[in-house]
Amino acid sequence: MSATTTTVEALKLEPIATEKPIGQWGLAWRRLRRHGLAMIGLTLLIVIALISLSAELIAPYPFEEIDLTHSYAALFSPGNPGRPMHLLGTDKLGRDVASRLLYAGRISLAVALTVTILTILVGTVIGAVSGAFGGWLDMVLMRFTDLMLTLPTLPLLLVLSSSLRQFAQLQRLLGSNLSVIIIIFVLVLFGWMYEARLVRGSVLSLRGQDFIAASRALGAGESRIIFQHLVPNSLAPIIVAATLGFGGVIISESALSFLGFGVMPPVPTWGNMLNDARGAPLEYLFTQTLSPGFCIFITVLAINFLGDGLRDALDPRLKM
Amino acid sequence: MTNFVIRRLIQSFILLFFISMLIYVILNIVPGGPFDLLKTSNPRITQSHIDRLNALLDLDKPLFPGQYCPKVGGEQQPCRFDQGRYFRWLGKVIRGDWGRSWTMQTGTPVMTMIWSRLGYTVLLMGLSTFLAILLAVPIGIYSAVKQYSIMDYLATALAFFGQSMPTFWTGLMAMSIFAVALGWFPTGGVRESGAPGDIIEALSHIFSFGRTHPELAGKVWPTILDGLRHVALPALVLTYFNMAAWVRYTRSSMLEVLRQDYMRTARSKGLRERVVIFKHGLRNALIPLITYLALTLPSLFAGAILTETIFSWPGMGRMQIDAISNVDWPVVQGLFVITALLVVLSNLLADILYAVVDPRIQYS
Repeated sequence: MSATTTTVEALKLEPIATEKPIGQWGLAWRRLRRHGLAMIGLTLLIVIALISLSAELIAPYPFEEIDLTHSYAALFSPGNPGRPMHLLGTDKLGRDVASRLLYAGRISLAVALTVTILTILVGTVIGAVSGAFGGWLDMVLMRFTDLMLTLPTLPLLLVLSSSLRQFAQLQRLLGSNLSVIIIIFVLVLFGWMYEARLVRGSVLSLRGQDFIAASRALGAGESRIIFQHLVPNSLAPIIVAATLGFGGVIISESALSFLGFGVMPPVPTWGNMLNDARGAPLEYLFTQTLSPGFCIFITVLAINFLGDGLRDALDPRLKM
Repeated sequence: MTNFVIRRLIQSFILLFFISMLIYVILNIVPGGPFDLLKTSNPRITQSHIDRLNALLDLDKPLFPGQYCPKVGGEQQPCRFDQGRYFRWLGKVIRGDWGRSWTMQTGTPVMTMIWSRLGYTVLLMGLSTFLAILLAVPIGIYSAVKQYSIMDYLATALAFFGQSMPTFWTGLMAMSIFAVALGWFPTGGVRESGAPGDIIEALSHIFSFGRTHPELAGKVWPTILDGLRHVALPALVLTYFNMAAWVRYTRSSMLEVLRQDYMRTARSKGLRERVVIFKHGLRNALIPLITYLALTLPSLFAGAILTETIFSWPGMGRMQIDAISNVDWPVVQGLFVITALLVVLSNLLADILYAVVDPRIQYS
């Protein structure tokens, strides 16, 4: 008789799945976590972003503090009595390089982030509209994309950023931020084409599938189908492209600033610090060049690591 | 195939027409003209002087066909129809007249200026592309065949680093190490000061059998050596940068091929591994690389803006920067249109080559 004495608890069904289900994104995160380089990249990026964001707190000097008695100081040289050490030396005007690097990082990262987000928005809208509507609209938009891709990008960026600066109204409106706004504008203007093609391609391949037909049968409108179904389903390649594009934007911005057509002093960026370094006497060239360039290098490297891992994690078919 | 080429050619010309229009419009609606500097540097020059100079360059005429109402000496002249600056410029370009420089070398035909720079750019870009392929393709193949070996990781790291280092940084670093600290190479330029000529002039002397640059007779080889010493650093910087992409492309193309069924078939036939890799693998892996090579052709002529700027190399890239800084729009237009032409043609070439080397591809 003892066999029949079962407690109520024992009658409870064993749950079939012990964990809550993981979706597509959970799976991707799992794959990403196993990707050593990607995690190194992600960690580096978070560290770089945090350091740059807290520039005011940790920078030993204000970025514009000039000390003409200490120009081109060597690495680890002591500051004036009672002031912190110049860890990475000083530049021509005796400004502390390490402090400038921190503030510059903030500008460079902010510009790159803004450009990447705007690029994705513009590219997604153009690509989605082009792919979803098809017909003559698609034809016109894609030929325009081809045209933009054929234009020589860097030289045109130079022309636009040097010319836009001469609009007096803009100057009055934006003040010292003018060069930053202009560089964001021109980089977005010449940056959306790849994303547009990507989104259009994946929209075209999704459009014929059953769940779209089902959604349409349920009475969904065109814009609902585009932005609720087509765009979210093409997110994976967009995220990969955006990550790798972010690195590209950092390089483009530094290149423009390096050539003197980008962000203008006194606002420091890694690119215009390198431009200053180019004008340094040759014996100081190495110390002046080393640190700003290294910042660009390590940031872009971290992004490339992360982007590579994301590509493997989000779409194993894209593996290079 | 012929139909495909003809259709693509027609499309390319339509594309080029719109590109040239876009470039012309962008350059002509942005503020700033060739006489801005004149106006700010000399207070005695009034707006009416500038107007007259602008009229001399046709800058007062409308961009597109429309009414043209000239003012002569403040007096309104009767309006007449004008074909517009864009179409006038395009017509001249088609006939081979690319205009004359405004500010850089005032009055010199744009084509003459471009020709004088072309040799330097082709030398620098040709050398660096050639070296990059020569080094990167074997590395890429080895890295794919021995995937996950130490060499593979090294090659991948090299590619990652190369892609993440902007040339303006590697250039300055290379200069400060190899030119300043070690003194192995000059810091920039094409020749020692006081040298009788430069490497391009020496090459031209050789290929014309002494008819051009007669002053170089007997001094050709020292001049060429001097030129090679000057081109070495910028070429190495560009080689490293280009290598990164080539290693990645070669590796992924080879990995793709190694997975194919015909590789297994070749092995199961009992072929030696060498034959399998080089005859069956490599030849197929090279197909996408030929396309990539065709797509890099425009850069051989357009030059490398950043590297040429750092090393004061007088190529097309430097010329673009100088022309833009000097508001020399005829030169800029010429350079941009030529670059766009090369891009369009090399895209076409890539498509055609792809079909020629890979019989599986068919265009209809």
